[in-house]
Amino acid sequence: MDYDVLVIGSGIGGMESALKLGDMGYRVLVVEKEASVGGKMILLSKVFPTLDCASCISTPKMAATIHHPNITVRTYAEVERIQRRQDGTFSVSIRQNPRFVDEAACTGCQLCEQACTVAVPDQFNADLVSRRAAYIPFPQAVPKKAVIERPGTSPCTFDCPAGIKAHGYVSLARSGEYEKAFNLVLESTPLVGSLGRACFAPCEDGCSRGSLEGPVPIRRIKRFVADTHYQSELPLGVEPGSTTGKRVAIVGSGPAGLTAAWQLRLLGHEVKIYEAGPVAGGALGLTIPNYRLPSEVVAEDVGNVTAIGVEIELNHRVTDLGELSDRGFDAVLVATGTPRSGRLGVEGEELPQVVPSLDFLETSKLGRGMDVSGKRVVVVGGGNVAIDAARSARRLGALAVTEVCLEGRSEMPAFDWEVDEALAEGVQLEDGWGIARVQGQDRVEGIELKRCTAVFDALGRFHPTYDESARQSIACDLVVVAIGMGPDTESFAPLLDRRGNGTLAVDPGTLQSRVPKIFACGDVVDGATMITTAVGQGRRAAHMIDHFLNSQAFDPEEFNLLLPRVEAQDVLRRQKTHSRKDALGSGKELVLDPRDFHEIEAPLSEAEVHYSAGRCLDCGVCSECHECVNVCPADAIHLDMRPEKVETEVAAVVVSTGFKLFPADLKPQYGFGRFKNVITGMQMDRLLAPTRPFNTVLRPGDGKVPERIAYVMCTGSRDQTVGNPLCSRICCMYSIKQNQLIMGALPLADVTVFTIDVRTAGKGYDEFYVQAEAMGTTFIKGRIAEIRELDNGDLVLRYEDIEHGGEIREAEFDLVVLAVGVQPNLDTRQLFGAGELQHDPYYYVEEVDEDLNPGQTSIEGVFVAGAASGAKDIPESILHAGAAVAQAAAHVEALRVRS
Amino acid sequence: MSERKIGVYVCQCGGNISDYVDVERVRQAVAEDPDVVVARTAMFTCSDATQEEIVDDIKLDDLDGLVVASCSPKLHTFTFRGVARRAGLNPYRYTQVNLREQDSWAHTDDRLGATEKAIRLVRAGIARTRLLEPLDPTVVETVPRALVIGAGIAGLRAAIGLADIGLGVILIEREAEVGGHVRELGTMYPHDRQGQELISELLGEVRRREGIALFTNAELVRKGGTFGNYEVDIRTRGDSNMTRRFEVGSIIVATGFDSYLPEEGEYGYGIPGVLTLPEFKKLVDASEGPLVYGDRPVRSVAYIYCVGSRQGEGGPHQYCSRFCCTSAVHTDLELRAKSPKAHQYHLYRDMRTYGRYELLYNDSREKGSAYLKFAPDTPPEVQRRGDGQLEVRVHDQLTSQEEVTLDVDLVVLVTGMVPRSNQELIQRLKLPVGRDGFFNEIHPKLRPVETVVDGVAICGACQFPKTAGESVASGLAAVSWSAAMLKQGRAELDPQVATVDPDLCTFCGACTEACPYGAIGQQELGGGRQVAVIDPATCKGCGGCAPLCPEHAINVLGYTGREVEAMIESLAAGVA
Repeated sequence: MDYDVLVIGSGIGGMESALKLGDMGYRVLVVEKEASVGGKMILLSKVFPTLDCASCISTPKMAATIHHPNITVRTYAEVERIQRRQDGTFSVSIRQNPRFVDEAACTGCQLCEQACTVAVPDQFNADLVSRRAAYIPFPQAVPKKAVIERPGTSPCTFDCPAGIKAHGYVSLARSGEYEKAFNLVLESTPLVGSLGRACFAPCEDGCSRGSLEGPVPIRRIKRFVADTHYQSELPLGVEPGSTTGKRVAIVGSGPAGLTAAWQLRLLGHEVKIYEAGPVAGGALGLTIPNYRLPSEVVAEDVGNVTAIGVEIELNHRVTDLGELSDRGFDAVLVATGTPRSGRLGVEGEELPQVVPSLDFLETSKLGRGMDVSGKRVVVVGGGNVAIDAARSARRLGALAVTEVCLEGRSEMPAFDWEVDEALAEGVQLEDGWGIARVQGQDRVEGIELKRCTAVFDALGRFHPTYDESARQSIACDLVVVAIGMGPDTESFAPLLDRRGNGTLAVDPGTLQSRVPKIFACGDVVDGATMITTAVGQGRRAAHMIDHFLNSQAFDPEEFNLLLPRVEAQDVLRRQKTHSRKDALGSGKELVLDPRDFHEIEAPLSEAEVHYSAGRCLDCGVCSECHECVNVCPADAIHLDMRPEKVETEVAAVVVSTGFKLFPADLKPQYGFGRFKNVITGMQMDRLLAPTRPFNTVLRPGDGKVPERIAYVMCTGSRDQTVGNPLCSRICCMYSIKQNQLIMGALPLADVTVFTIDVRTAGKGYDEFYVQAEAMGTTFIKGRIAEIRELDNGDLVLRYEDIEHGGEIREAEFDLVVLAVGVQPNLDTRQLFGAGELQHDPYYYVEEVDEDLNPGQTSIEGVFVAGAASGAKDIPESILHAGAAVAQAAAHVEALRVRS
Repeated sequence: MSERKIGVYVCQCGGNISDYVDVERVRQAVAEDPDVVVARTAMFTCSDATQEEIVDDIKLDDLDGLVVASCSPKLHTFTFRGVARRAGLNPYRYTQVNLREQDSWAHTDDRLGATEKAIRLVRAGIARTRLLEPLDPTVVETVPRALVIGAGIAGLRAAIGLADIGLGVILIEREAEVGGHVRELGTMYPHDRQGQELISELLGEVRRREGIALFTNAELVRKGGTFGNYEVDIRTRGDSNMTRRFEVGSIIVATGFDSYLPEEGEYGYGIPGVLTLPEFKKLVDASEGPLVYGDRPVRSVAYIYCVGSRQGEGGPHQYCSRFCCTSAVHTDLELRAKSPKAHQYHLYRDMRTYGRYELLYNDSREKGSAYLKFAPDTPPEVQRRGDGQLEVRVHDQLTSQEEVTLDVDLVVLVTGMVPRSNQELIQRLKLPVGRDGFFNEIHPKLRPVETVVDGVAICGACQFPKTAGESVASGLAAVSWSAAMLKQGRAELDPQVATVDPDLCTFCGACTEACPYGAIGQQELGGGRQVAVIDPATCKGCGGCAPLCPEHAINVLGYTGREVEAMIESLAAGVA
């Protein structure tokens, strides 16, 4: 037996249970879901009826709990499952959630909190103010250690194949930390400017704002960050790692090769890139047209790589990999991409005016573009490269540009918006046509098309079928073929395995080839993909090569291991309302018949960046911007921590999981969440607490000190319309307590309480009520039907004045406090197997023999303490805990006798 | 000037202190003292983080004295003694200065004055600490047995609970039968169990346990001994009047309550047909079918609430009796089941069917009972008219203050609980009685069943009106308190007790007479010289004896004459 008793929850009931059992000499394990012990009481101002400071009563209990020699406390942990065993004891599965902070190392200095770029509502201040994603729950927290809230990975970051912390740089940009944002992207890839322009931004597809008014323009924020850095002429904020003495050759300087080179150099290896072309960058430098990605930007990005000491040899085509390894390289990475254009295989293709798209784009990009002015150009293909070619042809002065593709408009592999843009620039589209032949003898005169009836077969494989009878011809002078790209790998054949389509066959996890020191990555392995995918593979290759060079075991599963993706609906559900923040336009200036290659997308202004980054919903809460990691003086932050399973055995269980407060927005007629000056009782307690968020009682709407304050009792209690006929027991007393504290804090304030009955039944309670009345609180019997908000934020309450003739009256107030009631904490339903732990019809843990054995549940050896069994105030919870532990101790003793 | 190394911590207590006292100025002022090595402020000194900081300071600077200027010593003396102990500093070299209750809260209108006072209070604390010597607690073995006084539902259940944790129990009941009020109850709320059955179930359990010795017709006639080893004399009446002596480690008082008995004429009490709720409930419990009163079927009942409760300023019972609203509603439902057609009118002030009991109230209304609300200044009037008809008149606040006249067969006065007259026990145990006449706990949240008398706890309705279930819960809470104290077999007593310097003592007897605990005896020294001697386990360190001693022979350790004088000098320094 590991422990005598498991206590679940460390609110006042849990702490009392643990301390009493510990004092009796039993070994106790306390499991607390939050990052601090203390529950709700520590958050209160003062407590009724003695008006003791809640902190002053809670803190010693919290400290005593954590320091007690017989008590072990696990905070930030959850009990997942408890099973009762034959011998009457219990096996318990606990999930220890990662704080992402080494508790032993953390000194509670709060530097991480100050550096954190994400603000979320502070649940420990009843959402009145915000806290950071890296935070210490509250000033008196025990343990006073930071925790980083990471419910998962933000969709933008999760969906980035390059593993770029998209949410991170958005949150840094939001904070005006552009250089830090730039450096964060550099953690993944040097191609900040290129990706800021030419990436197809899968991050934005998954953005949770997408379902509201459109995604955050994440890519353009990255572009802004890159432009800002390059314009600033600030030195590169990263340096290569200490020299390892290992040398790596990389063949190809596309996105994969450059990224791999960058990463390996940062790890301290010497890296040399061999590039067959005249400029570095692969597709970035050669084929993506300047109107989308200017060559200067690519040069800046490539400059990052050379700045840290990577050597790039241009115009050097590597054909013999064996020779490279002979030249003393410890590892070789092949990242040569897909430089070959696909062929049509039709009559007339051999004519000189039929050109492969990549050649066409390359000559255009390098400024040696073909003269097509006055010519009619047909581009064959429905993908992005075809669009690039068609739009380039427009810019090169073609008389007419027609794009022909097999697919119908909606099936085209090119992005919809790309097709739209091409059409807007005057490209004609002939969709749903295959090529029958190229017409002309010595030169191209036209192209004959045949109707494509289906592109794919029943299994979804590419297998076009045609209606040979449906044909048309288009007269043209030039045909650009953009029907796919392939690798150029014949020369590697003796050493490496190739697949049928020419791609290299390597281990998909480690990217290692059959020759141990030769790796391959990017499109030469995967076939044509996106830039960002190639970047991701480059990172992976670097990681694996580094492990290879250090003779470490490969860990393909561990690489880039992300927390699960946070789903948009969960993010949206977190907030009751979302203020509408319209998305910006695309920023693209499209003209019919463009004649030059200037960049068509305007940069975001700094104000637009702030506005747009401010729309981010912080889906994963922590943005992984790494600011906390950078500032922590104790190196205590470890974002790679993961949940741990803990199995333990106990003789008895005390369930002290407490209660939830009624969510006030479920009474829409009271306007909570819509009217800023309608607050809950818990929020008022925070306004009054010694650790209050503002230094006085004020209304949240405009910071005005309220003079007329109304209390709406029984919000969510004694109310069939919200499914809760029960009385919550605590609200009358906590409201009356607040009345007294308000009159102390704001002597001029009028306080009016709208009530059904004033339920002050307890020792000293009615006297407390009488005292509040004597101090000036007005009690009116009448339930509030509706609250209206005036333009100045004041509120009008409509009610039936029952004791004065039952008239319908209205009254104006500055601030309205909803005395929200108690709801069950449904966590208790998951603790045991289905139906084992009985609950009452209102979902509280059932006490099966309340008359004689209060706290006894339907499971022998399991006891409930405090409000988990129904609404209780603090003294009642403490007594109830005392009752539960007396029986838990008896159970432990009985088991000892039995065994 | 002694060379001590004292750490001083001035607490902001959130804003409780710092809103009214410039704590930084206080810190600076006291930091000047050459014996003060560390002086800090903290938002919550009692928070774990600051506690750990103090532990580190004590270890790092090898402190030999600790002063925390925060709240009342009643709240945190033990907290900071614990801090000192964890850091290896003798816990009795700690002084708590009360800047909150004695300063900031008392002078909310005078920040300068409060700050000046705070400086003096802290300096006095430092002055005392400078002189403090290490003390070791007196360790006593405790007896693993408890005395439970009162075998009502709370006492019976407590006795079983104690026995089940392995403690011996002496359970005494003044009456001939156990069970108290619950024994006389039929159906009880909320689970409709029979009171009689509950008691016989518990009595059966008590009899099954060898560790419980039950004495009926029994009373506590004397308590002696010291903490953890009390001697109690139990006298039983009946066939043989005899007194037995037991050693017990703790005492649980569960003596219950009395029902309020209205005065003659109060709401017509005394008129036939005007009953108290307990009287009426007995009738309903006993009735097999439709209720009959005086040979006539009861067709209508009016309940008048808060009789003997919430009596307002000057009244003997100002408190709300808590259980009676629900009890009346539950009785209404019980009658409804037996006399479905009876009209039932409830004349109430506030319906306090708290928590789940609200469901009973809803049930009663849905089944047709009428609820009328009266204001305390216009209470209902009850009279028997000439025609013999009972009549209740009330201004109903729910219907425009209309005066309603109800002709009813019975009037039920919903009476509450009142403190039981128990003067002898109060005196024997020195039990603290609150303003409402019930026994008082030390603190409703920190120590909810303990009394200021060491080793004596209270539970059940002797503390305040409670339902049977709540009484049982508090009884079991008292079991937990007992077990936490006695399961370890030993206890530490505060060594801050009075001591006599035998060289100075002339045994005038003034101290012996003054000691409320009987801790001071007489001892003969060589040569027949008589001196006073104080039992450290009995002495509570109250200090009542010290000022009476004409020879200044008595000192309370931790508050010696020198220490107190040094404090006074510090407080008054510079005051003309």
